[in-house]
Amino acid sequence: MGIIEVKKLVKEYKVIQKEKGLLGYFKNLIHPKYKKFTAVNNININIEEGELVGYIGENGAGKSTTIKMLTGLLTPTSGEVIVNGLVPSEKRIENNKNIGAVFGQKTQLWWDLPVIESFRLIKKMYKIPENEYRKNLKRFTEILELEDLLEKQVKNLSLGQKMRCEIAATFMHNPKIVYLDEPTIGLDVLVKENIRKFIKDVNKEKNTTVILTTHDLKDIEDVCNRIILLDKGQIIYDGGKQEFKDIYGNYVIAEFIIKEKKQSIKESMNLDIIHILEETEKNLKIKFKHDETTIMKVMDEISKYCTIEDIHMKEPELEDILKDIYKGVHTNDKKYDSTSENAI
Amino acid sequence: MIKSMIALAKMQFSQYNIYKSNFYLFTLNRIVEVIVYIFVWQAIYNQTGELAGGFSINQMITYYILSVTISPLVHWGINEDIAYSIRNGQINKELLNPISYFKYYFGINLGEMGFALVVGFATFIICSIFWSVVFPSSLGRFMMFIVVILLGIPITFFLQMIVGITGFYTNSIWGMKILRKAVISIFAGMIAPITLFPNWFQKLANILPFKELIYTPINIWLGQVPINDIYFIIIKQVIWAIILYSIAKIFFNHAVKKVTINGG
Repeated sequence: MGIIEVKKLVKEYKVIQKEKGLLGYFKNLIHPKYKKFTAVNNININIEEGELVGYIGENGAGKSTTIKMLTGLLTPTSGEVIVNGLVPSEKRIENNKNIGAVFGQKTQLWWDLPVIESFRLIKKMYKIPENEYRKNLKRFTEILELEDLLEKQVKNLSLGQKMRCEIAATFMHNPKIVYLDEPTIGLDVLVKENIRKFIKDVNKEKNTTVILTTHDLKDIEDVCNRIILLDKGQIIYDGGKQEFKDIYGNYVIAEFIIKEKKQSIKESMNLDIIHILEETEKNLKIKFKHDETTIMKVMDEISKYCTIEDIHMKEPELEDILKDIYKGVHTNDKKYDSTSENAI
Repeated sequence: MIKSMIALAKMQFSQYNIYKSNFYLFTLNRIVEVIVYIFVWQAIYNQTGELAGGFSINQMITYYILSVTISPLVHWGINEDIAYSIRNGQINKELLNPISYFKYYFGINLGEMGFALVVGFATFIICSIFWSVVFPSSLGRFMMFIVVILLGIPITFFLQMIVGITGFYTNSIWGMKILRKAVISIFAGMIAPITLFPNWFQKLANILPFKELIYTPINIWLGQVPINDIYFIIIKQVIWAIILYSIAKIFFNHAVKKVTINGG
């Protein structure tokens, strides 16, 4: 039994279909036409206590809708959500005691007051025992470097400072589950790293389950051990981070700096194995799979058409893999083979 | 739970207190208001030389000083905070609090009332320097005055809640806010003692809950209400508190359902 169990979860929105013109406006007023829009389509998730889950997908894939259903802010159209033994949309306040959430830029800190006041309020609201509160405050202050911020008014903090305080506030009551929706958006590299370290440390110390939604895949790469990938309201991948790379990223990207090109390489070369991504007078970027060919063979082939000056190779990062998935490169893979017309 | 509400009240109070100018400006604003009323009534009394609505000139002046002292308790409040929280999606965060939305805002409202009391008290002190204020004839009357005012706090809170929640439906509570203010100003006797208004109006005011917010407590203070009426007044306030609470609750549940089904 997982700490979060989601079965056949569906969320449909009704959207009023607007009609053009004044007549359409009045028609809509009297007899509005609704269009159904399925944001989350029949998903199943089972998350164990202590997991660090990266919940990713394009904008509008249904991530926030799912998170809102998990927190009880949205009522599912159908299906089952059980978080920590409770149905969140029915027992919201009960559920709130066990969870913490960061939603993008929205804050639970009090704008005009010193940060520490907001922490004290949280202590009162969640009935955190004094010694536990002190322990957490000390530990969080240490990892997130809040020392100088606690006495400052929230309005005087920078975005990064505010987010660090916000994260500390979210974890203060030792929630069993924390939902982080874009916690690193707009932050600089150091703050991002700081926050990632914090999440990992707290997870290790308290076995907190963390569901992380983000568009910064470094967050996922660094923090998560499991990835759930959502596309158009459906889960297209759910499993370990390494397996994800093995399945979708078993290729190499090679960049050549070339000169004395004799002819267009793209037109003359055998394209079955080597996929050309980019070609200019001096540059060539290609992609090939490990198990189909080797770099030596590729270089042999290319040097038929030009002289190779330099070569730079890299394993695909999560970001490259996802880009491909969003573009539909993998649509004819085994996971999901119905819409293959998008495949390159 | 009481503790979290008190903590919230403290937060809201210090939030106001951060801006010291708030305090001075609000108090000044109250005093200017009272000066205008007093000048008008002094002119009227000089012309007629009689009692107006059963009040002597000193009683009338006291009436307005008290009215301006209490009115922040009635007019200020959280309806705008609620509307704002709905508009910018802050409500999503507030619905994730470990205490209910009502309790959360009641706590905040208490802080606001605390600040209103401080401003009111300062207004009263300053005014009583310049004009001769009539004081209640007994400690009992003063206690009754306090009780009726305190019972008014939940009533105004639920009214504010109702106005604030209309923000769920209309996206703007501006109109509702003005309406609430106008209705309360007239029916609570803030503009003029209700006894000066036509009979039908007085009858209506007897039914509505607003009279007990300002007019009744002041009249208790001034000795215009028999002490035995207090039971009736309290019962009326409690009944209205229950009615308004139920309306606010029904409204709120419907609005939350709307949010949780259609998204914020």
